[in-house]
Amino acid sequence: MGPRANGLWIVILSLLLAYLLAIVPLPDWAMHYRPQWVAMVLIYWIMALPYRVGIGAAWFAGLFMDILEGSLLGLNALSFALIAYITLSLHQRLRMFSALQQSGMILALVGLNITITYWIKVATEQTDAGSLLFLLGALSSAFVWPWLFVFLRQLRRGFDVR
Amino acid sequence: MSLEYRLLAFLALALGIMFADSRFDYLDRARFGVAYLSTPVYWVADIPARASSWIDDAFVSQRDLIEENAQLRQQLLFAQRELQLLAGLASENSRLRELQEASQAVQGRVITAEIINVSNDLGSRRVLINRGAHNGVFEGQAILDAHGLMGQAVEVLPFTSWVLLITDSRHGIPVQVNRNGERAIARGSRGDVPGLVLEYVPDTADIVVGDLLVSSGLGQRYPKDYPVAQVTSVYHDPGQPFALIRARPLAQMDRTRHVMLVVPDDDVIGGGSIGVIQDFPAPAPVSNPEASAIEAVAPESDVTQSNDDDSQAGVQGDL
Repeated sequence: MGPRANGLWIVILSLLLAYLLAIVPLPDWAMHYRPQWVAMVLIYWIMALPYRVGIGAAWFAGLFMDILEGSLLGLNALSFALIAYITLSLHQRLRMFSALQQSGMILALVGLNITITYWIKVATEQTDAGSLLFLLGALSSAFVWPWLFVFLRQLRRGFDVR
Repeated sequence: MSLEYRLLAFLALALGIMFADSRFDYLDRARFGVAYLSTPVYWVADIPARASSWIDDAFVSQRDLIEENAQLRQQLLFAQRELQLLAGLASENSRLRELQEASQAVQGRVITAEIINVSNDLGSRRVLINRGAHNGVFEGQAILDAHGLMGQAVEVLPFTSWVLLITDSRHGIPVQVNRNGERAIARGSRGDVPGLVLEYVPDTADIVVGDLLVSSGLGQRYPKDYPVAQVTSVYHDPGQPFALIRARPLAQMDRTRHVMLVVPDDDVIGGGSIGVIQDFPAPAPVSNPEASAIEAVAPESDVTQSNDDDSQAGVQGDL
């Protein structure tokens, strides 16, 4: 395993902040553009601390998201576990990527996350099959990623999270 | 590699939980427990809204207050006048009911609540209110605002509850036209504009634009005679067996913050005599909001008498 654990409360705090941003009420027109904060923060921590944050942590983060949203239990847990796996297997390459390439990866991963949850919701009749506008969330996520990345990296270095 | 096995294990676990959550209700207890942790998150997320309303209150000029006061006074006067008329109507109504030996009309008490969040799932219309099991909220409880019925509580957590709005496409509410008592089922419409669609109304039904739809109480879930919606368009397609009727909900779903929960009278819940349609039976514990909404609609077939409604009830059963 990796080095001795330190400052893991920062991980939890950043996740809590992401949960807040995920549920803060937005005007109707902005709903489509809400970035997937929790998924992005998870992806960052998996990338930075793959020996500490993994599939299990992502799964529980997803379960809490389900309870927060009042959606079907296990819905976000499933898709978060899946994107955690992809991130884990790509984390070495992801670290080498330029900001633009990383944003592209985020677009794909968050898009996958949104699509999976949408499919399951439609399959279990939790929501209506409607327009594909919800995919705009992936686009806005990719857009805010570089700033989020810098912010979280500052946090990680500042508090020496390991 | 162990990573793949771990992924498979967690995926299987998620699928199992999803299956259990959609089929059985023993996970509701776990959900209820964990909600003690999620409530603070919602409380913090609501701070901006509360702060802005506080600022609105704190920085109001005296002139605005005087103006608003005068306006409210006038509204109160109108309301009191209507209340006087209502008192007369109520006594007349109860006399008529006595003549018919029907059950006493129920005037439920209400408790107030505030909407603290909106579901960010675009395909469903749900809001979160700041009252939960500890405030006596139960599943299926009717929510209304100052203008009309809004929806029902579908997921009761310790201090908060999720409310399924009547404009959600998986929600149906039994209504009747205030003018002539024509019955129908109002379902939330699909699409971006929140509205209601009257389902399976025959072309011959006497429903015109502007008609007020009130809850009929037949679903045994919503209280009777609360305003629900106003008919905005009636379209008769010769190629279709049923008329296409759209209605606009009267409750201000996306503007209001203050809502009310209807509390049924205890004696009505307890003393149920057979053969009398009650406004408020004790709600059966149902985990699936969709099932409950449909279920709430189903009993209409038992009490319908007119021919029109028979076809309607038959189709409704297929849903």
